[in-house]
Amino acid sequence: MPDLIAKDIQKQLGTAQVLCGVSFELQPGEVLALLGPSGSGKTTLLRSVAGLERPDNGKIEIRGRVVFDAATGLEVPAEQRGLGLVFQSYAIWPHRSVFENVAYGLRLRRVANAEVHQKVGDVLKRLGLDHLAERYAHQLSGGQQQRVALARAIVYNPPVLLLDEPLSNLDAKLREDARAWLRELIKQIGNSALYVTHDQTEALAIADRVLLLDKGQIQQEGPPEQIYGEPTSRFSAEFMGSNNCFEGKIAEVSGRRARLAGDGWTLWGTLKAEKSRDTIGTGLVRVESVRLADGAGDHRLKMLLKSALYLGERWEYVLELGDLRLRTWGETSRPAGEYWVSIPPEALWIF
Amino acid sequence: MNRTFRSFAVVTVALVVFGPLGLIIYQSFLSEAFFSPTARPSLGAYQYVLADSGFHSAFGTSLLVSFGMTVIAVPLGSLLAFLLVRTDLPWKKFLEPWLLVPIFLSPVVLAFGYVVAVGPVGFFSLWAKSLLGTIPWRLYSLYGLIVIAGLTHVPHSFLYVSSALRSLDPSVEEAARVAGAGPWRIAATVSLPLVLPSILFSSALIFLLGFELFGLPLVLGDPAGLLVLTTYLYKLTNLLGVPSYHLMAVVALSIVALTFPLVYAQRRMLRTAGRFAVIGGKGQAFRPLPLGAFRWPAVGIVLLWLLVTVLLPLIGVALRSVVSQWGEGINLAEVLTLDHFRELQNHPNLIRGIINTLLLGGIGGALSVGFYAIIGLAAHRWQSRWVSFLDYLVMLPRALPGLIVGLAFLWVFLFFKPIAPLRTTLFSLWIAYTVVWLAYGLRLISASLLQVKPELEEAARVIGAGQGKVYGDVTLPLIRFGLIGSWLLMFMMFVREYSTGVYLLGPGTEVIGSLIVSLWGTGALDLISALSVIEVVSVGLILFIALRLGVRLDA
Repeated sequence: MPDLIAKDIQKQLGTAQVLCGVSFELQPGEVLALLGPSGSGKTTLLRSVAGLERPDNGKIEIRGRVVFDAATGLEVPAEQRGLGLVFQSYAIWPHRSVFENVAYGLRLRRVANAEVHQKVGDVLKRLGLDHLAERYAHQLSGGQQQRVALARAIVYNPPVLLLDEPLSNLDAKLREDARAWLRELIKQIGNSALYVTHDQTEALAIADRVLLLDKGQIQQEGPPEQIYGEPTSRFSAEFMGSNNCFEGKIAEVSGRRARLAGDGWTLWGTLKAEKSRDTIGTGLVRVESVRLADGAGDHRLKMLLKSALYLGERWEYVLELGDLRLRTWGETSRPAGEYWVSIPPEALWIF
Repeated sequence: MNRTFRSFAVVTVALVVFGPLGLIIYQSFLSEAFFSPTARPSLGAYQYVLADSGFHSAFGTSLLVSFGMTVIAVPLGSLLAFLLVRTDLPWKKFLEPWLLVPIFLSPVVLAFGYVVAVGPVGFFSLWAKSLLGTIPWRLYSLYGLIVIAGLTHVPHSFLYVSSALRSLDPSVEEAARVAGAGPWRIAATVSLPLVLPSILFSSALIFLLGFELFGLPLVLGDPAGLLVLTTYLYKLTNLLGVPSYHLMAVVALSIVALTFPLVYAQRRMLRTAGRFAVIGGKGQAFRPLPLGAFRWPAVGIVLLWLLVTVLLPLIGVALRSVVSQWGEGINLAEVLTLDHFRELQNHPNLIRGIINTLLLGGIGGALSVGFYAIIGLAAHRWQSRWVSFLDYLVMLPRALPGLIVGLAFLWVFLFFKPIAPLRTTLFSLWIAYTVVWLAYGLRLISASLLQVKPELEEAARVIGAGQGKVYGDVTLPLIRFGLIGSWLLMFMMFVREYSTGVYLLGPGTEVIGSLIVSLWGTGALDLISALSVIEVVSVGLILFIALRLGVRLDA
């Protein structure tokens, strides 16, 4: 039985339809990322599951227990859903110590005092916070606050852990460490987790499965490799990664392949949408899939290197041929001039 | 639980606001006082009042006073706000709390202070006469009343304009500086125009307060034969010998008819005020505008205002309380005495008044804050049309001067027999005070509640706390300093209150403010000065504590 089932969740805020019928399931122990640009409805979806927003339509079940059903008007209040939620701003209560922040959920559940101390002690230890138990929020660093928020959400062992952009308030360096650490922790405690983020790297790194949302609808759903490597829509393709995007005329169609042509260039790519000959198509290729080649060959173009930009760990080359302008990466500085560029047809998606 | 709690809040507020107001309206359509067995429905009271030439001239005077004091208070208040918030005026930190002091002083005490300081035989008048041979001012005149009303209301405009200036992005002024503008030009062409909505808002507020003036016109206007609407209402009490409640109701309603549209207009202005604001990013530290050579003249303006508005009347009151008599040719050193304070002991009602005032401020103030907190919590994060209804309800008492609320509650206690015994207890005063200060108190509470980030409450809910637990474990503990600050502010407001108790004054319900009003009629200046000093010292002590605790006075 899934830990969480959401069916056809719809929600209107003001005149905007924020969620237009989203359905998903969360299996025990699974980490599901809700990924999308701002305004895609991912936070509203999470808050609907938590009971902090009331959807206009749909049904939500937690471990087989219906907590919301628009058809019957049933709505279990947030405090009776038993979930754990980590807020983007952490929401550590400034008037309570770290210990009392974490212990609050247990006290509400009338856990005996000795057990409260033992459980809170365990969880603080696990998160490396045991020496900070008596501190207050303003005496903690951002990373520590984030761990307190996590400790507070997992201490009473909720069936589902909800995380709303939990790493977005950390600085970039800390975020990369926290990413690995957080995934490890969730896997260790074996909880299923719903993870909201707008950061694709974070979603790919942390989740077992990604739900890509846009304008209140699911655009694509699947394991991280599939989301990145096999986009099913132009939105998914463009949203993920760093891309070259250009227009051309469909010159030839052959099965799932098509030839895109422009001013002085022609390239074979993979059709990702129904396209017929002589229509305008959009080619999309990840920057890392474009490579400089050592000489002429199939699926190669001779392009003019206009500039090479130093980005720190790599160089970015800007190449031109007629109306085609491509970016690619390499390891060394290169002088301007003509270079052969390889664009494999399976990496060039045509929409 | 939440539903019951919220309905309770809405019903209670509706009851305490509509009850008294409804009674005034009902009374205005009767031929006599409502308790008279021969009272019949009638428009006679309206015909009488609207035809009375005394009412016409009171109406005209009210209008003139309101207009005149707005013209004085708003430009001066805006200028002081600019000087204190945006420039490198010397002694800013020290001066700022003093600018708000007049708000916490009872107008009747201030008025009395002006009489004994600069009245026809005032300390400073006689001093000026001995120097110049004549007194160059006339306190008991329309101009005297307007100037003093204007000066004492400067803080109201300072309050709103300064808070708007504080949220103004300093870079808009820096841009003008870089372009070559001096501080006065910046004030006139950039800063003040950008906070125009707040200036207009404070103008509407001061114009409104003009119609509610009671202590100043009673003390300063009466000797010159000047009546404004409130003092006209007050005089009506004794006009016909019998309680002319129907006439008073009509006059009260005519005041409300003037104030209500103003309150409504203010509300509209507040809603559109956001349009103008250039809100700065994070209130980042900025360098105040250098006044240059104007530094000391600017301090001079602030000090002169303080001297005339605060020091002059307070010195007058303090001096008068320690002299046995005063007049031309009397040497101050020969008449010093503490007899007036000793004399208070011989008047049990005055002693009760002092105790009642402190009880009402301390305990009553705390209870009122509790009441406001309940209403504030009920409206907190409640998305419903009832919240805007509640907003309108709370706004209504702002259109009701204390004098009228006190009168209305007197009638409520006379009208509803089961609660009649409460009339002679402090409860009657407490509930009237609570209604008069409803809007102010709720603003204090909601300002605190606004600072509680919603996630802090949501976090508790998700963890499993019901609404009651969320309030008790998160919301209230988070606003506890705000509640203490609100209590101190209400304490001061209740101690300085004078007009609300005027009609409720009786054995058991004496308070310093209304005792001063009633003693003024008998000319007992010795007792008035002693009572005034006690009131000012009490307020001063609380103000000192509040400032030490860091309570923001500019709520």
